[in-house]
Amino acid sequence: MIDESKQDLLVQYVLGELDSTAADKVSAEIAIDVELRDFAHEMEEAFASLAYTATPMAPPPELPQRVLRMERGAGQDSRPAPRLRMIWLAIPWALAACLAIACAVLGVEWASTQKSLISLREKSGETSKELALLHEKNAQSESKLAQTQEALAQSEKELASMRERNVLAELKITTLKAQIAAYKGATAVVVWDKDKGSGVLQLDKLSPPGPGKDYQLWVIDPKKPQPVSAGVFAVPNEGLIRTSFHPTVPVESVDAFAISIEKAGGAPKPQGQIILVGR
Amino acid sequence: MSAAQTIRPTVVWSDFIKSAPTTVEGRLRDRAHHMTRPAQEPDSELEARLISQIAGGDEAAFGMLYERFSASLYGMAFRMMNDAKEAEDVLQEGFTYIWRKAASYDSSRSTPFAWAVMIVRNKAIDRLRTRQRQERLHDKVTTEGSFFQEKDETSADQPSVRERSALVRSALQQIPSEQRQALELSFFGGLTHEQIAERLATPLGTIKARIRRGLLRLRDCLKEGL
Repeated sequence: MIDESKQDLLVQYVLGELDSTAADKVSAEIAIDVELRDFAHEMEEAFASLAYTATPMAPPPELPQRVLRMERGAGQDSRPAPRLRMIWLAIPWALAACLAIACAVLGVEWASTQKSLISLREKSGETSKELALLHEKNAQSESKLAQTQEALAQSEKELASMRERNVLAELKITTLKAQIAAYKGATAVVVWDKDKGSGVLQLDKLSPPGPGKDYQLWVIDPKKPQPVSAGVFAVPNEGLIRTSFHPTVPVESVDAFAISIEKAGGAPKPQGQIILVGR
Repeated sequence: MSAAQTIRPTVVWSDFIKSAPTTVEGRLRDRAHHMTRPAQEPDSELEARLISQIAGGDEAAFGMLYERFSASLYGMAFRMMNDAKEAEDVLQEGFTYIWRKAASYDSSRSTPFAWAVMIVRNKAIDRLRTRQRQERLHDKVTTEGSFFQEKDETSADQPSVRERSALVRSALQQIPSEQRQALELSFFGGLTHEQIAERLATPLGTIKARIRRGLLRLRDCLKEGL
């Protein structure tokens, strides 16, 4: 005897109201239980018999031909040959398989992309750290550069100072004194630059040499047999005169400077009287 | 030209018509058997054979089955859809399904007619649910109180259909009205138990009982042949 709740379940099964899981379960029970199967069969027959209560209507006579024509048109035959039917049946599975493969591929791609992204993020982090380190190093370098530049400037200053001291060291200042009473009031100073091999002569209160005469400056080099001429210079009046000079031949060392009165235009060797001299 | 005239039958009636009973008892027994167990009738055997032939691609068998079932199924579809064009579409979908799935028919679980009824009903329900036309139909059912048509307006040529229709209508008269209403809403309205319970503002258990008892009573009446 089937209880009422079971009968209700079977009725719902017959009426197609159960979901697929419940329907499968009932179907499995029916398959092994004759009583259940007979009951379900009777319920379906009773239920289907209700169709007889509807007034029969003349059906469209051409409908079967229409169905068959459409089925033929749908695929030569809507009841396709086994192979064709298999193909049709396989299409959804093929699509599902393609979808699954696509999902798998996309999943792998996604995982790979995520991995790459993580790797890139890690690299980015490392790069950021390295960049920060480089910035720090750069700051340190700039600081060092500033210090170096400062040191360089200091060094340049020191170098300039040293050069100045060196220049001064290279300079020889000699005051020439009168050898004759007539030139006692005259003064002459020579500043000699050993490095350049030239000098500056400054004269004051020296009277003009007279007609046909010129004052000529001589550089006394102990290594030279003769005094070396440094040229004649004009003295138009007794005022302050300053003139630069170059010996006619290079001199290695200077022992003294002398000024003599020579014939106009000067002489290659000293011939006139020395009027001023200084060591 | 009708479809039936264009299809070459592969079977003849004489193949299936048994000799008429010679005695009064025999005729009564045969009539009772014919009416109370239509699923086991020779007609059912013929129809099962037609379905088997359809499964093999026999277009003539398809035409014959259509000739046997279409009037009742079309009337049922019209009753459900309340629209001739839609009923025709439902009928076409149903027979298309039969043509395609004939091989799946299991004679041990259903009679051909019940199988076909459930197919067409399901097609109609699909349409009803899709187009959400239940409300219109249900309003008509509940407001007009039409239930099952008590008057036999059968115009089908098949005597067996007329007899079965009369038998079912008589059986329904033996069923309480609330059970008939529940069966009506379920069969022609395509409503589930839950929907009927909601529709009638009645507990689900009550609706289940009404449908179950209605079907049991209907089964018993058909068995007894009234």
